[in-house]
Amino acid sequence: MNATEVNVFNAVLKSMRDSLISLDKDWRYVFVNDKAVRMMGKSREELIGKTFWELFPDTIGTVIESEIRRSMAAREKTSFEAYYKPYDLWLSINVFPYEDELLVYFTNITRFKRAEESLHSLLKEVSDYKHALDESSIVAITDATGIITHANDNFCKISKYTREELVGKDHRLINSGYHGKEFFHELWYTISNGHVWRGELKNRARDGSAYWVDTTIVPFLDEAGKPYQYVAIRSDITRRKQAEGELLELNRDLERRVKDRTEELEAFSYSISHDLRAPLRAINSYAKIIEEDYSNTFDNEGNRLLGIVQENARKMGTLIDDLLAFSRLGGKELRKSEVDMMALTEQVCSELVKTVVKKPAIEIRHMLPVKADKTLMGQVLVNLISNAIKYSGKKENPQIVINSERSNHYIIYSVEDNGTGFNMEYASKLFGVFQRLHSEMEFEGTGVGLAIVKRIVYKHGGSVWAESEEGNGAKFYFSLPE
Amino acid sequence: MNQELEILLIEDNPHDAELVIRALKKNHVVNHIVHLTDGVIALDFLFGRGKYEGRKTNIKPRLILLDLKMPKMNGLEVLQAIKDNDLTKQIPVVVLTSSKENPDIEQSYLLGANSFIVKPVDYDSFRQVITDLGMYWLVVNHPPH
Repeated sequence: MNATEVNVFNAVLKSMRDSLISLDKDWRYVFVNDKAVRMMGKSREELIGKTFWELFPDTIGTVIESEIRRSMAAREKTSFEAYYKPYDLWLSINVFPYEDELLVYFTNITRFKRAEESLHSLLKEVSDYKHALDESSIVAITDATGIITHANDNFCKISKYTREELVGKDHRLINSGYHGKEFFHELWYTISNGHVWRGELKNRARDGSAYWVDTTIVPFLDEAGKPYQYVAIRSDITRRKQAEGELLELNRDLERRVKDRTEELEAFSYSISHDLRAPLRAINSYAKIIEEDYSNTFDNEGNRLLGIVQENARKMGTLIDDLLAFSRLGGKELRKSEVDMMALTEQVCSELVKTVVKKPAIEIRHMLPVKADKTLMGQVLVNLISNAIKYSGKKENPQIVINSERSNHYIIYSVEDNGTGFNMEYASKLFGVFQRLHSEMEFEGTGVGLAIVKRIVYKHGGSVWAESEEGNGAKFYFSLPE
Repeated sequence: MNQELEILLIEDNPHDAELVIRALKKNHVVNHIVHLTDGVIALDFLFGRGKYEGRKTNIKPRLILLDLKMPKMNGLEVLQAIKDNDLTKQIPVVVLTSSKENPDIEQSYLLGANSFIVKPVDYDSFRQVITDLGMYWLVVNHPPH
């Protein structure tokens, strides 16, 4: 080595980024470059002449000690990576036996090690995610043209194809023909433009059986934003679809049955109104003809009996009308609008009062407006108020109070009279069809009025009830949702 | 009255028919009424067929009262036959039924019924309706020539 070479060599040693030391056969420092001095945090003078083990006692018992000793003894070069705890460093160590000495290079590879570690944990995480996805879902990956490049076990299981049969094909293999061209066109348009597509697909397995999958297709985009592959994640919803289908069928069946029943009811109503009315008209009319043409030849008893026939025919007519009105309500659609209950009540009252001789004192306090079917509300008010008029008619000062109040998202309307009232023991029978709490002798009626009230109020989502003390009037309530 | 036939009543219920005739005659609105009890016979009468073979079909009723519910041929079929035939289609037809619930109201008008009347159960009202009906179609209304 000439002088120039020695200078170059020294310059290299000084400037190199690796630490370099040279040890004699007694492990004493012979040479230490600048980087090694800085790394060890001691002056060159402190180092030279000391043994490696004195200065780095923490290496004893580690791979560093065993490798260096092995290299020294065997006169063989060695390279290894080691973690040196006191400096919290990862080192790449290269050992070269050179004449009697041992040259040791230390390269700080901590940053690479750390990067490697985080890459490892990242990769592990990714593989865990993939594992979780494979466990939970049906997964397929296709290339940009839709050719299957990966199919997981679940995909093979549900499609009944082997992985080899799937890979290299496109999804037409499992197309059930259920969805139209438009459907797939939309799907492709979405994903090829880089958007996620979600939907429910009916596919066909190898054996021809159909299965439903809830599908999410995620395009993986390259730096230019173009999809380079698509990942399809699916879950089996065949059973849900079947259940949906059954439910749909059940609903249809129910609708059919309701329709059938409604038609039956309409036919029944028609039959009642037509077939019962015709003979009734004959009874009415012929009785009337007898009355007109022969009443003067009848004695009093004969005329009384004829009167009974006429009276009962008239009642039967009312009964048929009421029953019809009741059964018609069943199929009737509600036509809801904002109803001015105050005005409606006033109108109903003035109409009803006209028909009675003994006018009651009616007080309409405060009737809140409500969204309801106006015609039907009119019917409810007519029935309740006419009842109040009827049952208070035998009192000396018949009084009726009509009022309403808000309560818990409902409006509660009430019609109160000071009439005969009823025994609360029978309150449950009040709103039943043809249920009456008074005899025909006491108060005339068919027992349909309150049943109609109940049906109308129920159709509006409200309820009906009543309070009374026998002999001391009754108060009827109905509530409607606000 | 230059025509001897004013009303043709097609009604199978004898009591309803009697009440109609009684009501019409009582107020002397109508005197010439032919009552037939089913649709087949009524069409034979109008078109001069069957047992009415040879009847002068140019003598037409000025009004037909037609019940809907009849055996053999129902009122709607009779109505269609009347309105489909040039000989009879100008004759006003009033359809009678017992109920306004009747789903045939629409159909009756579509087939060319001139009026649709619900027979009241109460006799006073019934008599009034029938009298008004006769008055309107035979006295007030002006038929084509």
